[in-house]
Amino acid sequence: MIRTLDRLTPALSRGVTLCAVMVLVAMLPWISGRDPARSILRARMGEQDASPEALAALRDRLGLAEGPVAHMRGWFAGLAQGDWGTSWISGAPVLPGMVKALGVSLTLMSAAFAVALVTAVLLAGPTMRRGLRGRDTRSSGTVAASLTAMPEFMLSALFLVVFSVWLGWLPPYGWQGPAHVVLPALALGLPGGGLLGRLLTNAVAATFHERWIATWAVAGFSRRQIARAVLRRSLPALMPQMGMIVVGMTGGAIAVEQVFSIPGLGRAVLGAASAQDLPALQAGILILLLNALVIGVVANLIRVALLGRALHMGALPVARVVPLPPDPRLWLVPAAVVVILLVLLAAGLPRDPFTSQFLRLQPPGFDLPLGADGLGRDVLARIAHGALSTVGMAVLVTLISLFIGLGMGLMPRLAIGLIEVTKATPPTIAALIVVAAMGPSAPGALLAVTAVAWAPLAAHTAALVTEARAQPHVRIAPILGVGPLRLIPRSILPAIFGPVLRHAMLRLPGNALALAALGFLGLGARPPSPEWGLILADALPYVERAPLAVLTSVLALALISVLGVSLVSMTRR
Amino acid sequence: MSVLSVRGLSLSYPAPRRFLRRAAALPALHDLSFDLQAGERVGLVGASGSGKSSLLRCLLATEAAQTGHILFKGREVAAGPVAALRWYRRAVQYVPQDPVASLEPRMTVAQLVAEPLLRLHVDCDPARRAEEALDSVGLDPRFLSRRPEELSGGQAQRVAIARAIATRPVLLLTDEPVSGLDMTIRAQVVQVLRNLSDAYGTGLLMVSHDISVVAGLCSRAMVMDGGRIVEDRPVRDLLRDPHHIHTRELLNAAPPMTAAA
Repeated sequence: MIRTLDRLTPALSRGVTLCAVMVLVAMLPWISGRDPARSILRARMGEQDASPEALAALRDRLGLAEGPVAHMRGWFAGLAQGDWGTSWISGAPVLPGMVKALGVSLTLMSAAFAVALVTAVLLAGPTMRRGLRGRDTRSSGTVAASLTAMPEFMLSALFLVVFSVWLGWLPPYGWQGPAHVVLPALALGLPGGGLLGRLLTNAVAATFHERWIATWAVAGFSRRQIARAVLRRSLPALMPQMGMIVVGMTGGAIAVEQVFSIPGLGRAVLGAASAQDLPALQAGILILLLNALVIGVVANLIRVALLGRALHMGALPVARVVPLPPDPRLWLVPAAVVVILLVLLAAGLPRDPFTSQFLRLQPPGFDLPLGADGLGRDVLARIAHGALSTVGMAVLVTLISLFIGLGMGLMPRLAIGLIEVTKATPPTIAALIVVAAMGPSAPGALLAVTAVAWAPLAAHTAALVTEARAQPHVRIAPILGVGPLRLIPRSILPAIFGPVLRHAMLRLPGNALALAALGFLGLGARPPSPEWGLILADALPYVERAPLAVLTSVLALALISVLGVSLVSMTRR
Repeated sequence: MSVLSVRGLSLSYPAPRRFLRRAAALPALHDLSFDLQAGERVGLVGASGSGKSSLLRCLLATEAAQTGHILFKGREVAAGPVAALRWYRRAVQYVPQDPVASLEPRMTVAQLVAEPLLRLHVDCDPARRAEEALDSVGLDPRFLSRRPEELSGGQAQRVAIARAIATRPVLLLTDEPVSGLDMTIRAQVVQVLRNLSDAYGTGLLMVSHDISVVAGLCSRAMVMDGGRIVEDRPVRDLLRDPHHIHTRELLNAAPPMTAAA
């Protein structure tokens, strides 16, 4: 009995987590603490003080009078019958609009996925060629890593400036024809393609180190046959990550759709969030989550199909990749980034980021090194102050997520469902839930990013804990009278803390970018605070008159990406 | 007097699950019964997969058998939480196979040897007892402040033995205690075990696939094959006249010089 329960724990954990997320979404109108009826009246008629009779009548009609539990039951029953609620703003059913928007988003994501695949193949091509010629294969380079670190909203803004505004090659916004798909698909697909390319390159390089390659070559197999076998061997390991990349796209698509004004699911959800139209928001979040779930399941099924019997027999060969000798110049890049950031801070911190003391969009000059923004505020001052707040918040997120990750990772079997679901939730979707519950704010963004940032750390911790528990000096502990609780400070924590701390620090730049993305989407810090995402969002409406302002904030964000990539590649070797 | 009695012990492991299909459980131990007398030195030999390690885990109460009983001086031993087993751990201790890896690398020798005294609530001065235990395995007190990485293989195994005997156990269970050591060190460690057993009257159950080590130390040997005890006799008789075909194979595999000893 206990054994059965023990074996079922992971499955239970997954099930309970899914139910908890559903209940959370269902309860959003009640968690938000706002009176839904009052919100609706305000949204529809702009009445600040609705009469009690009108409120009561509306509550009755919406079935809100019966309280949260009955309301939730009604909501779930409605879901099953295809009635996903009616918009508080328009009074129309939310499902048809959301489904139409989902169609647009899926088209965009398919195009982006194609971009990602092509990018990955281009990145992994050289390694494959070297391997087939029998030369040494090595893991991926800086190009792939840099692509990976570029957040979608930043690439979108960059492409908008370069290809639409300066070169005029492609339309800047809309969704009418194939030309409208190119830039959004590139912005959405390149980061995923970079990651996929890096993973594929590493997997192919590792496969070429396996012994059967030499056997096959000696036996006279053609290069094409070997190439196919190498791919078949390397792909299954990538499938979970492939799933994660596509899931990540559902979050990235929200930003891309916002920049390019594409009428997709992300933009619809974002609109619902800023209008506090909770039924629409609930439906949108649910579709996004279901989308992520389906993608994860499909990716796993493909992996199982590719691996076949080998998965059951545990018969996969393990390759030993010889690490490259460390490059002594690797510290130069992060050092340079830090110096640039310090110069920015030194130049900008004494200046005033809030007062509109210059002309609107005043071009750069001696007094004003980076120009003024649309309200006549000093861009240099705003970027410097923004660096301080964005990086400070990112440090906070990183530390909190480190502790949550360690705690959750120490009980992997219990937390597995929570870890998996959280890993599959992009920060943007978490932020949508937070915004629905408490409105947009900087602490809300911090909460949202922290709520997902701990999961990779927990997964890493769990893996290390399993490894540590297999050590002979840990396995002997019960015989010496050392109980499971005392074991954690005695052997487990000392063994895992260093690697997990390093991992958390590597994620610091990524967390900073996630915070900036939320600010950019209006889901985080509010104006007029000088937050990097907000600065970019403020500059974007003037992209045609002052493209330089957009470029400056994009470059500031790129600095953080470069910092992240260079730190990772420094520790990788 | 019988210290440890095993009655009808059976253990099987669940087969790896396949999709929508469950294979039969894999049996590891089949209805084992035997007794160990106080101070008796017994070798448990058998090839890999014969069930030696499974039996050892059951005797260490880190794994629960499906059926059967283990009685220590008449008291039932069952796998369970640490607190419920302290009485048994004080009386039955363990020397593992890989001495260096079995010592927590962040602790000093003094801490390592004193750990079971503290955790098992042994009524003594842990520092003094640790020093005594170290002395009885032939290590002088300057080792107390060392860490495992500063010890040689033989020294580490002596520390592991000192840790096991610190609680003054009635019975020591050992798993291939010398297989990782080179020939000269091996003889020294065997000598240490023999001296301890003689001095304190500690019983010994030694798991080994090498029958020559058993011959040098034990008076009785049990041969396991396929989860069963196929032969259980004095070592002398076993060496002269092996009944079971598997015993003969094990004897043929042993170096002839030591087998005669």
